[in-house]
Amino acid sequence: MTVSSLTPTELAARLKRGLFLRTGAFTVKLQTTIPNVSEGVRLLYADYPLASEDFADFHVSLSRPFNLRRWFKPQVWFRLEGIAPFQPLPYDQSFPLLEWGLNWCVSYHANSYLMIHAAVVEKDGHAAILPAPPGSGKSTLCAALVNRGWRLLSDELTLIRLSDGAIVPLPRPVSLKNASIDVIKKFVPTAVFSRAVDDTLKGTVAHMKPSADSVVRAGETAKPGWIIFPQYQADAATRLEAIPPSRAFMRVADNAFNYSQLGQCGFEALAALIDQSAAYDFTYSVLDEAIAAFGALQAPAPRP
Amino acid sequence: MNRRELVLQAFRDPASLTGLDLMQWDLLLRQARQANLLVSLYILLIDKELIEAIPEQPRRHLEWSHSVTERYKQAVLWEIGFIQKALGEAGVRLILLKGAAYVMARLPHARGRTFSDIDILVPKDSLGNVEASLMLHGWQATHHDEYDQRYYRNWMHEIPPMQHAKRMSVIDVHHAILPVTAPIHPDSRKLLAAARQVDAQGDVFVFSPADMVLHSAVHLFHDGEYDNGLRDLVDIHGLLQHYGATPGFWAILTARARELELTRPLFYALRYAALLLHTPVPAQALQDADIGRPGPLLLKLMDQLFMRALLPHHPSCDDGWTASARAILYIRANWLRMPPWLLVRHLFHKAFLSPKKEG
Amino acid sequence: MISIPDQTVDASDGDVFSSVAWRAIDGAAEIRHWGDEYVVYNVRSGNTHLLGFAAGQIFLKLQQSAADAGSLASMLAIDWQLDPDAEFMQQIASLLADLDALALIERA
Repeated sequence: MTVSSLTPTELAARLKRGLFLRTGAFTVKLQTTIPNVSEGVRLLYADYPLASEDFADFHVSLSRPFNLRRWFKPQVWFRLEGIAPFQPLPYDQSFPLLEWGLNWCVSYHANSYLMIHAAVVEKDGHAAILPAPPGSGKSTLCAALVNRGWRLLSDELTLIRLSDGAIVPLPRPVSLKNASIDVIKKFVPTAVFSRAVDDTLKGTVAHMKPSADSVVRAGETAKPGWIIFPQYQADAATRLEAIPPSRAFMRVADNAFNYSQLGQCGFEALAALIDQSAAYDFTYSVLDEAIAAFGALQAPAPRP
Repeated sequence: MNRRELVLQAFRDPASLTGLDLMQWDLLLRQARQANLLVSLYILLIDKELIEAIPEQPRRHLEWSHSVTERYKQAVLWEIGFIQKALGEAGVRLILLKGAAYVMARLPHARGRTFSDIDILVPKDSLGNVEASLMLHGWQATHHDEYDQRYYRNWMHEIPPMQHAKRMSVIDVHHAILPVTAPIHPDSRKLLAAARQVDAQGDVFVFSPADMVLHSAVHLFHDGEYDNGLRDLVDIHGLLQHYGATPGFWAILTARARELELTRPLFYALRYAALLLHTPVPAQALQDADIGRPGPLLLKLMDQLFMRALLPHHPSCDDGWTASARAILYIRANWLRMPPWLLVRHLFHKAFLSPKKEG
Repeated sequence: MISIPDQTVDASDGDVFSSVAWRAIDGAAEIRHWGDEYVVYNVRSGNTHLLGFAAGQIFLKLQQSAADAGSLASMLAIDWQLDPDAEFMQQIASLLADLDALALIERA
């Protein structure tokens, strides 16, 4: 049974008492009465399976504080088991806050994975990991790729399972900012988007619904393939430049959430990932050319 | 199984955990996380070889909490190395307290234990040298507010915490285990004299087993913050189980409590460890510790307060009285630390005059 | 930069040029290499370092067995087919000091 099987009224009722939802390898119990969130869930989480109500990995809630600000500049709090990891945001940003909060829950706790701040997509069993700081165009590229034959594994959190090095999917709505929103709307006219929210710390933010296929195949892991550091540069020629593995190691470690905390396990997992991946710096300005470049990537030869 | 006491049940009877359903596990994990006891639960299940019998969904939460502990332990050892160097140059022995001491002494219950600061004890007259040496090695004073400085230096049993500029680690330097202003004064010199080396060759010291228990008891029953109350009680439980197996330990413990005038905290420690966690305490020891028993009315009140405040600070563990219990114990703790006129001034200052902390 | 004539040694470098032997701290590090560079994880400090070819080779040699700066330089000069002149010695000394500062090696 998926979220789409619930009527809007049923969905609101479930959210009020706590909706149990399966997102990739994690079960979330989401409790809220905020209509923006309810609408966002109805639209973008339509294909997600409902989970049984006996156990959730993360008990989260989004709520409006009952204080004087309630009337003139309302806010919203995200909480995990009653604790708020962030300051409240303007009420209008409730749905983006849910997404940021869910990412935080995983990145802060799930220490059986080496977690990298990167998008990751898959084709033919191999994963292309796209680590990148904000402004690099990673999310735009990711959103484009997953609409041209690549499967979405995650747009924010790459999970490398420590026990075997497998890349574990966590497909969730793809977050896009500012100009990228229109770019992708043009690139994929059929894409489903949440309502754009202005004035966030990141500018205007909207989320794109992941394909039903990526949600259904959330249990299908991928092997390492490529680590590609994207950089959008207006009017630049499409360019793929190999990075020495030792340098790729240090750059990925810099982009990992829990590399330090995992200690030696983190080091070994990252070394294995580097061993099995080809690393590149990637510059692009035209999405179609970028897609073509990705299509031409050769699966890396297995190293001894 | 009583919802409020799920965590207690885990320590009293670990085998019973294999009978929990997913819903109970869901609640237990949330209570244990709140109480900072997730790793302790994991260690318990590993020791009793029960971990495989736990369903995968809750089990991985326990594994997640454990996977960062190896790195944490290395970080603590690394930090202690630097502290050793600084103290060595000041000519002062390094005596570790609390969490860091349990970890260095490799106490079984302390595997995976985390703590935010490292606590050490030094002779009062060496405080100046120690502080100077720490500063030379990169630690900086915190609590720059003049009132806070006076609070710590004149009235408390420690100098304000110092933070290392590069490594960001924090060290608490104590010269006694209770504040100067408290009504009882366990003799620090006796504690220092009885301290023993952790390793045959090393120069890191910890309290003697009896003193470790007593310090933990004083810390728990004199401090006012009970967010880690159950974890501290679990420490006491662990210490008593580990050292309790040594012949003569219990007699030494109760005698030492009398010597250091800590019979009241010891009474509470044994009582609540036995009541809440079912720590096996020999009848003779309970009898000997009885000298610290408060009057019947006070005891009744303390039972009501501690039996609530020592549970995890989680809504599912509260009843209507829990919030009040915690508040009363906070005031009691400050009462025990300082005379009334100082207490009022302290609470007043804390509430109105201390600069608001950010974030 | 201190220039060191052929046979004599500058006093301030006396330490690393003496017969003090160095060795890799036992069990302290995990090392991997790709191409000419090495990535080292220091188990005790929790830090990860990128080492150049020379530093990596020195560390590996000191993992195998303790050596003083002089014999280390001789061995590496042969391996790398270089002339162990004063500048070479100075570089070895400098790298030893770096590895020491990273708590990867210690005086034996």
